[in-house]
Amino acid sequence: MSEAALPAAVGGRASRRRTGAGGLFVRVAWRNLWRRRLRTWLSAGGLAFAIFLVSATVSLQGGSYRGWVDTATGLATGHFQAQHPAYFDDPAVRHVLADGAALVRALGAVAGVVGVAPRAEAFVLVAAGERTFGALALGVDPAREAAMFDLPRRIVAGEFLPRQDSAFVGTALAANLGIGLGAEIAGLGTTAEGGVAALVLTVDGIFETGQAELDRSMMLAPLAAVQAAFELGDGVHRLAVNAADASRVDGLQPALAAAVPAEARLLSWRQLLPEIEQGIRLDRISAQMIYWLLMLVVTMSVVNAFVMTVFERTREFGMLLAVGMQPNAIVGMLLVEAACVWVLGAALGLALALAALLPLGVVGVPTAMGVEGMDEMTTRLMMPDRLYPLVSLAAMTMAPLVMLAGTLLAALVPALRVRRMRPVDALREEE
Amino acid sequence: MAPPLLLQLSWRNLWRHRRRNAILLAAIAVAVAGVVLLNTLLRGMQADMENSVIDNLTGHVKVLRPGYREDPGIQRGFEVAAGWSEGLPADAVAGWALRVRVPAVVMSERETRGVQLVGVDPARESISFLGGVAIAGEPLRGSGDRRVLVGARLAEQLQTTVGRRLVLVTQGADGRNREAGYRIAGIYRAEVGGLEKVFVFTGAEALQATLDTAAVTEVSVRLADAAREASVVQRLDAAFGGLDVYTWRQLEPHAAQMVKFADAAVFIYFVVVMGALVFGLVNTLVTAVMERVRELGMLRALGMRPWAVVAQVTIESTLVMALGIVLGLLLAFAVFAAVADGIDLTAFDDSLASFGLRPIFVPVLATGDVALVAAMSLALGLLASFYPARRAVKVKPLEALRR
Repeated sequence: MSEAALPAAVGGRASRRRTGAGGLFVRVAWRNLWRRRLRTWLSAGGLAFAIFLVSATVSLQGGSYRGWVDTATGLATGHFQAQHPAYFDDPAVRHVLADGAALVRALGAVAGVVGVAPRAEAFVLVAAGERTFGALALGVDPAREAAMFDLPRRIVAGEFLPRQDSAFVGTALAANLGIGLGAEIAGLGTTAEGGVAALVLTVDGIFETGQAELDRSMMLAPLAAVQAAFELGDGVHRLAVNAADASRVDGLQPALAAAVPAEARLLSWRQLLPEIEQGIRLDRISAQMIYWLLMLVVTMSVVNAFVMTVFERTREFGMLLAVGMQPNAIVGMLLVEAACVWVLGAALGLALALAALLPLGVVGVPTAMGVEGMDEMTTRLMMPDRLYPLVSLAAMTMAPLVMLAGTLLAALVPALRVRRMRPVDALREEE
Repeated sequence: MAPPLLLQLSWRNLWRHRRRNAILLAAIAVAVAGVVLLNTLLRGMQADMENSVIDNLTGHVKVLRPGYREDPGIQRGFEVAAGWSEGLPADAVAGWALRVRVPAVVMSERETRGVQLVGVDPARESISFLGGVAIAGEPLRGSGDRRVLVGARLAEQLQTTVGRRLVLVTQGADGRNREAGYRIAGIYRAEVGGLEKVFVFTGAEALQATLDTAAVTEVSVRLADAAREASVVQRLDAAFGGLDVYTWRQLEPHAAQMVKFADAAVFIYFVVVMGALVFGLVNTLVTAVMERVRELGMLRALGMRPWAVVAQVTIESTLVMALGIVLGLLLAFAVFAAVADGIDLTAFDDSLASFGLRPIFVPVLATGDVALVAAMSLALGLLASFYPARRAVKVKPLEALRR
């Protein structure tokens, strides 16, 4: 090993000139790396592989969660809802917030709120001719609803609540009732006092969401009509509130909570759509199992690379120790070598990840992945048609930082052997 | 050179560097165990999804009248001739049930909800989730029982309990509404909680009497041997001319799709995790070759053939891989045995229910997948030795000896 003398000579100079010793260390470490070119590239390649895969998938996940939440809340739920405190657990007509218009004004005034939609609702028996089916009558403000939500746009036939006595019904409900546009329907329910509430409406629009439950059992009507039939005055059961997008929801929560009056309760989409919240957590956990496994396997490979490096250079380290280099300085140099390998791997991995993500950020990834039958699944789960990766600092630094810790640890474990080396034995070691 | 000798050489070479080969073995074992365990989770999910879809009154195969799926109701029912089931292959069928399933509105004193009213013969429902539910109160006594069985979550919403009465409104065979009172016999708890809000059960004959009909709306068949599905479908097609025969895959395409996805995922796990391993494997093998340049040169000078050099490196790689696979599988089996009873995922109940999954998750170890992972890993070991072996062959005897 003719090169073995080089670090020794440079090390000697380093001890004379204390200034700039750090830079020198890096230079020596960098040169040492290229003594085993293939090994360095394989270690860096392993790091790059893990960093690329983890960073790219974390970004894709981040984007898909945001898209999923926006699509799911955008259908009709909203990012937040203000409700009567008891309404969430027991949706009964009597659990009503009294002054709807005032609440709309109060919540709409909060900075960051882009829309507020008041709703009054009740379960009714919808009758058309001889047939009767149960449905939820949802009284909405047509203009606000259309501006904030997707449901009014899922029209199969007709229009969204053009008149004061219009009804907007799901396809399955219309089919079950055997009716089409222009049909007269009656919705019968019970008022809070136990009296009979009757809604007489004309079907002016039919929608289809792909959510069997909604298409079968929901009917939208103008807010005023539902309020009048159920003797609610200006009372509402919920007010849906939207932020600009899902990523602003948590920031908006405190201000909104302050604006909600004491007699109402504020719920975020996490409580309103627990299956989405849990679905995201479950997806995150299952993905993390793969990430950690991947990073563990790569770290073990790097450990092996450094075990081999330390073994091969036993004679060299013995010589360095013999000429008076501190064992800790050798450990330090090995750590700098590890850091250099990491720089190579991280740069390569992140470059690959960005090269893959940036074009995908423009064109998007089809959620169904082109798999036949998957679109039904994504519709059912209220997922968007296309996903766009969310490239964030957090997503791009998580894997590199974990791998930095892993790489340093991988170098440290075999490097500590240097401290136990006795120069004479080490020098006697065969190549 | 004789193969046993090569094997011996490779084996001894492994023991020359215990420390690094131990780390390599550990890495292989972790990777193999990881892939196998991730796969058991996925297979568990797949089996659970398949089971719960089939349990969820779907069965493996179902007979419906055309149009029932779009517009369910007793008008889309059909009458079943006695003895229709005689042609079914007895050893392939676990059971069958005739049901009357119609949309209905249920009203308690306080609340109103839309539900599916299902008339059943309780003795036949061992083929669906109804056979396994916990019931507070009494189960239905028979097909003629005029009482109802409601789910716990529905009972909660309706603010009612065992022994109280419910009013159910549904459409009769003549198209006119039937509004009738029913006493609650019992309240059931289903493993997939969402079902509790959807299904209200009563006796099939009792419901037929209320609806003025002798018809049923579905025949559901559960198989004992899923592989014989096609022959059962064929028999049902012959027995019920003019009606539609569906498999659960056609009735619940999204669940069938998820099951298919699980088949592909084992390859994704393998590529990701074993891909990471390849870097370390090649690294170690190349070093093992480079250290032995002098030795290999000497062996070549003594007359060892190039193919024997290649074989030596390849055998070495395969040996490490095989040992790693064995260790990995042992590790995987040990971890699997610890969690085989099930993992409690109650915290994700709502989300799991929307996939039709139960909150207690039971992983499934599929022998075929374990064999596949082992075989692919061995193949990978062979593949990874390609480059190091080429390096070994390139060693020129004279130059190597001069070093």
